[in-house]
Amino acid sequence: MNPNRVLASLAQRGPSLDLSTLDLCFLAALHLQAENAALTSFSEEQLADVFEQVEAVMAAAAEPGQPAKQRRSTHAIRRLREQRMIARVDGAGIVRAGEYALTRLANGIIEFFLEDDTLTRDSLTVLTRSLLVGLGEILTAAKSARTEEEWRMGVISPLRVTMGDLANGIERRQCGFDLQQEDFQREIAGLLHADWFGAVARCQELLESSSGTLSELNQILLRDTHQLQSLLQDVQEVAAEAGVADAEGAARTVVDQVDRIAAWGSARQRAWSEYYQYVHRYLRDVVRLDPARTLTHRLREHLAGTAGKQFALTLASAPPIRLLREVEIPPEEKPTVRRPRKEREQGLADAPAENPQAILEERVRGAIADGARALGTVTERVIAEVAEEERFVTTGRVAQAVARLGDPEGMAERAWVPMQDGLMIEEWTVRVAAEPEKEAS
Amino acid sequence: MSSDGSPRFVRLEDVILDEAYPDVDLALRRGRHIDRDDVAWYTFLVDAEDHLEPLYRRFGCELIHRSDGYFYLLPTGDALGKRHLSSGEMLVGQALTLLYLEPATLEQGGTVTREQVLGHLAGVVGADALVRVMNPKRKKYDERVAQETVRNKVAEALRRLATLGFVEVVEEDRIRLRSALMRFAEPVRGTKAPEAALARLVAEGELVLAEEDPSEEESESDSESEPKSEPTSESAPESKPDSESESESASESESESESESEPAPDDESGDPS
Repeated sequence: MNPNRVLASLAQRGPSLDLSTLDLCFLAALHLQAENAALTSFSEEQLADVFEQVEAVMAAAAEPGQPAKQRRSTHAIRRLREQRMIARVDGAGIVRAGEYALTRLANGIIEFFLEDDTLTRDSLTVLTRSLLVGLGEILTAAKSARTEEEWRMGVISPLRVTMGDLANGIERRQCGFDLQQEDFQREIAGLLHADWFGAVARCQELLESSSGTLSELNQILLRDTHQLQSLLQDVQEVAAEAGVADAEGAARTVVDQVDRIAAWGSARQRAWSEYYQYVHRYLRDVVRLDPARTLTHRLREHLAGTAGKQFALTLASAPPIRLLREVEIPPEEKPTVRRPRKEREQGLADAPAENPQAILEERVRGAIADGARALGTVTERVIAEVAEEERFVTTGRVAQAVARLGDPEGMAERAWVPMQDGLMIEEWTVRVAAEPEKEAS
Repeated sequence: MSSDGSPRFVRLEDVILDEAYPDVDLALRRGRHIDRDDVAWYTFLVDAEDHLEPLYRRFGCELIHRSDGYFYLLPTGDALGKRHLSSGEMLVGQALTLLYLEPATLEQGGTVTREQVLGHLAGVVGADALVRVMNPKRKKYDERVAQETVRNKVAEALRRLATLGFVEVVEEDRIRLRSALMRFAEPVRGTKAPEAALARLVAEGELVLAEEDPSEEESESDSESEPKSEPTSESAPESKPDSESESESASESESESESESEPAPDDESGDPS
């Protein structure tokens, strides 16, 4: 079950409870009347009668001078129905007056207030004995069960219902015991508050009695939970051998509950032991040594700055011992330190500089000298020697070189001729007159 | 005592060779108070008391065993470093002692929350006085910042008192009060007048009187450069008690940053039980 989803669903439904003392008394009165008279439901007249009785009791119990509130029973019943404390159970609608019963929620709340659900030696003994007897019967039934029906009736259902209820009963009483212990701690503090020194004897009596109760409970829990675990383990083993997963799961659930019960016992014992020692020490060191609470008064005055001089306690404060850091010893084989024999960086070497333009012009000149007279022919021969990605640029430079080295004929219409790689250039005819250098000279 | 009634330690050598000795010795030298809740350490000290008292006397300090059920080391000479609790620590310590004596604390099994400590301090000392004590050098202060400073200083004092064994931080917010807190009440205990008891305790070196000193401000500002985590004034005898390491004239932002760096309880004084 995803807790987030459950919480979201609960929040979406928006449940809330708003119960006054009158409401709780009314519910309690209905609960008690149902128990005493073995009633399963109440008519509307009965509800109104009970409500009037409750109001009368509350008015009598109210302090003098406090105005008694008169409320209509109809209003109270409606409020309780809205909060799902009372449910209509006859299903007759508007045909006749309704029959009402307390819901499980109302019974739970009232039981909390009415029942003394505290773990005592007697209640724990009865409950654990019942658990042990019940588990013994379940184990016998598990050993003899052959059919699915026998497993269900003899093992699974009793484990889920009877054993679960009994274990829940113990857990519920544990909660009651916890509440009682809280009250007890409050009582001791209250006794000391009311009568500082006079309460010592009473406090010690209370401590001893509560300590005895807890010790007895823990002994019973330790002894009985061991037997319960052993029986449950046997049931689990038999169920596992028979391959009945439901029975195994039901036994595991009860094992978890018994584990919780045992853990509760040991935790309370430990906590109580600490509390017991603390209170005894307090009574001995604080209360008995200061019967008039003079110490508290003086200290309070001192703290408030109205009496005495301020002071400061002296303490030892030795610096921590200085521990040298552990050093890792280097390995024995250490590399020897040497000067490198040759220079790490290579010296620069002289190299002739390349002039790509001069190389290109040399090739153009060569092509013209070989008899090429058309720009297309010269270009074809030169770019055949260069890389593919440089051909476009080289084509332009060839035209520039040809124009400079030769003497292109001017024509109005120049034909376009295709080159390699999809290039096209305008065709020129080159006349060779003289070398440019010679002309220049 | 061993189970057959014979003493557990016959010679000092037996004490020193005991497994608990190094930890107990270090804790005592650092100012830790060891009480019955430190079951193993306390038992060791009770058994070894006769041997350890003369040993520590040779180091210029006394191993004190109070009837309230706790041990501590009191330096009487200069051989062992010593310090005095700051005014903030004293204030918080005394408030905790008052809480320790209150029957209402019994209900909680001897534990209190930080809020209860602050509330109690404010109730006994007064909120304004508390702010003034914890912000001594500020003539004017912002209420919010001053209150934040008080909370930080109380938290810091609680942490230090926990390392010294006066209290134990059991949960993030809960503090268990220990019997060593009764040391704060020593001057007002007994039937004699508190002034006479105070004079006797001063003479014994148990405490020093805190006097209003105009040079306090200077010495505090001098201590600003010291690391905060170090205990204050490993000083010569009769040194001035209030030597808080925090910067009193810290800015608002500094006080806020202090609150963020809430220190964890000191592991050095680990609980042996």
